[in-house]
Amino acid sequence: MPAVCFYFQVHQPYRLKQYSFFNIGNDHNYSDERLNKEILNKVADKCYLPANKLMLELIKKFNKQFRISYSISGIALEQFEKYRPDVLESFIDLARTGCVEFLGETYHHSLSYLYSKDEFVRQIELHEKKIKHYFNQEPVVFRNTELIYNNDLADFIQKMGYKAILCEGVDSLLQGRTPNQIYTAPNNKKIKCLLKNFRLSDDIAFRFSNRDWPEYPLTAQKFASWLHNAHSADTINLFMDYETFGEHQWKETGIFEFMEHLPGEILKNKDFSFKTVGEVADDYQIKDVYDAHATTSWADSERDLSAWLSNSMQSESLSKLYAMEEDVKNSGDKDLIERWARLQSSDLFYYMCTKYWSDGVVHKYFSPYNSPYDSYIYFINALADLEVEVNKHSLATARVF
Amino acid sequence: MLGWEFPPIINGGLGVACLGLCKALSQHVELSMIIPKSDPNYMVNNVELIGLNNVEVENLKKIRTSKYYKEFAHVTTVEANIFPYETAESDFDIIRGKSIDFKLDTNVNIFKVGDLYGDDVINKVIEYAKFCARLAMTKDFDIIHCHDWMTFLAGIEIKALSGKPLVLHVHSLDYDRGGPDSRGWVYDIERWGMHYADAIIPVSRYTGSIAKNHYDVDERKIYPVHNGADPVHVFHDTKDFPEKLVLFLGRVTGQKGPEYFLDIASKVIEHAPNSRFVMAGTGDKLRGLIESGAYRQIGNKFHFTGFLNKEKVHKLLSIADVYVMPSVSEPFGLSALEAAQFGIPCVISKQSGVSEVLYGALKADFWDVDKMAGHIISLLQNDSLRESVVKDAFRDLENLTWDKAADKVADVYKRVL
Repeated sequence: MPAVCFYFQVHQPYRLKQYSFFNIGNDHNYSDERLNKEILNKVADKCYLPANKLMLELIKKFNKQFRISYSISGIALEQFEKYRPDVLESFIDLARTGCVEFLGETYHHSLSYLYSKDEFVRQIELHEKKIKHYFNQEPVVFRNTELIYNNDLADFIQKMGYKAILCEGVDSLLQGRTPNQIYTAPNNKKIKCLLKNFRLSDDIAFRFSNRDWPEYPLTAQKFASWLHNAHSADTINLFMDYETFGEHQWKETGIFEFMEHLPGEILKNKDFSFKTVGEVADDYQIKDVYDAHATTSWADSERDLSAWLSNSMQSESLSKLYAMEEDVKNSGDKDLIERWARLQSSDLFYYMCTKYWSDGVVHKYFSPYNSPYDSYIYFINALADLEVEVNKHSLATARVF
Repeated sequence: MLGWEFPPIINGGLGVACLGLCKALSQHVELSMIIPKSDPNYMVNNVELIGLNNVEVENLKKIRTSKYYKEFAHVTTVEANIFPYETAESDFDIIRGKSIDFKLDTNVNIFKVGDLYGDDVINKVIEYAKFCARLAMTKDFDIIHCHDWMTFLAGIEIKALSGKPLVLHVHSLDYDRGGPDSRGWVYDIERWGMHYADAIIPVSRYTGSIAKNHYDVDERKIYPVHNGADPVHVFHDTKDFPEKLVLFLGRVTGQKGPEYFLDIASKVIEHAPNSRFVMAGTGDKLRGLIESGAYRQIGNKFHFTGFLNKEKVHKLLSIADVYVMPSVSEPFGLSALEAAQFGIPCVISKQSGVSEVLYGALKADFWDVDKMAGHIISLLQNDSLRESVVKDAFRDLENLTWDKAADKVADVYKRVL
């Protein structure tokens, strides 16, 4: 009895202002508040509000048979709180239906897992608190930033008490096996791994409005028939950015109408049902081992870390940032720690990417800056300011003792 | 006098130098300055300023122009998009060559729109030459004085028509911008012009030696005259960070030695972590240097600002502790004088004109990264050395006035008349 498992990622970073050398030492607010507010307002009106309204209607219409999962970063929730409480309300309404599950992730949508386990745990716990606060749920399924994943992470997360983790179903690791079943890690057989079916997910997220795609136009009926073909599946995991609805795929493409009709089409086959990520983990058994020695992700055609960590600007920024952890935390200054944590958003390193082939277009689409070089300069200048501040702190502390 | 860049249209080093000299020289001689573009509201005392953009071509009587420059026009060119003093990062598209549309008619409209450089700079240089020749024939004059290659063709043409002595003022050569292998249209014009001229005034002995060694110019007609320093409003500001600040100002192109500056900075940061570096300016080497700085893991101490306006440049000068000019080939280097005026000790390459006049500045070959770094560390750590370098520079500056430069230029005039 196959389940269709939708998970939507909701995230908005704190984009940095055009922070120049002349700001260092006198401007300690690195975020471009106007830009962040403007983007949040735009995405709220084009995506979050209409999509949430649609999801709520679908849940009601199918009498709770339509069930979905969200992961919302802590800093996205913060920005909703600050700029668009109406969006936050609409998510809370969804949570109240009992058909919506919220996942755990790092509060700042960070790459901390790769650099500091302490910071990783700190951010997960911060995020858990936030989810509990707004949605009265305790996350039991984890998704790491951009589905960054490896065996070690699976083990780490299981030991933190999570029962399942999401990852990309990378072809080279599946080696011809289906992503539509539950896997586990070779080093920890308790964790359940939910693999993204990237073909079907990307049909919606990336190809939906592509007129050069032979399957264009994609109708709910056609897509449902593809799912129905996978009748031996346990779970078909459709993981994507929530901004797919109305933002990456504009309203004019018909993406909302597609989604409106999809549940009905899928449920025409009585064998099929919708489940949230936690329900999938509870209802199906582990079938096989998914062995990810090297770190994978859901980004770019490489499905590796190269979107955030493939040039010297990115590696310097990240290593310098995490090298400051001890000094920042020792300062005990909450504001300083928060400014440091905000610089951890993976997006800031994504903007610095210089891979200029097919994915370069995607990177450019998401970046608010003119070039990866500008993105790096703003970041590293802001980091220099933070360093100056932290040094002041250490100096002051040293004087006390 | 024939010029190309001139304030307020372009405020690059060449224009600033031309203006400084014009003002001082107008005390000695009657001066007409012909430039491609002028602002009709902009006046200089005692100087007749003629912008070709403001002249009606019909008012000029037709003359028989010689066709010396025609051989230059008969080259097939690639649209090279030449901005010799480029401040932006640029991309080059390779386009199939096309021959220059050469007409004997003058087309002065070319100066009414667009930039002074760009993909048709060669046409502009030729039009400028034809037009200046016609204009010059309506005037009574004794000396032709040209500034840099853009005006050399015009000077050659006027000398051929009038027989009056030709003086070429060399602010920079293609050798400086393109390196020792530099050859091509610009090089040919420079070479031809300097051979044909009666006197060459390079802005330094260093540039004079390049004219002699790389252009085979007779050294007996080379009379170096150093630039003057315009007075600037000097002020001092406090930094918002505790580190000492080391400054590089200029186009981020090979000529200015930005790669050496990065090398030097890595060395200094290693030995004197309490330092910060700023590279202000932009150019074709910028992106590579940004990545290189990140690779060396000094991005948090080595800052790129991109192109800065005058106000921001002065802000930097008001807080800098050391100024570094590691140019590979620098005919003069006015920016070092400006730094000295701000009381900043300078570390400059021996391959620069300004090193001939700033006796007090610390010097090294541009490639001698260790020595440059050593100089900077000494200046950052040794206050008495710093004070003496600054004091010496102030003394040097007293001698560097445009009036003194104009005296020397007037002497050159006397020699050729």
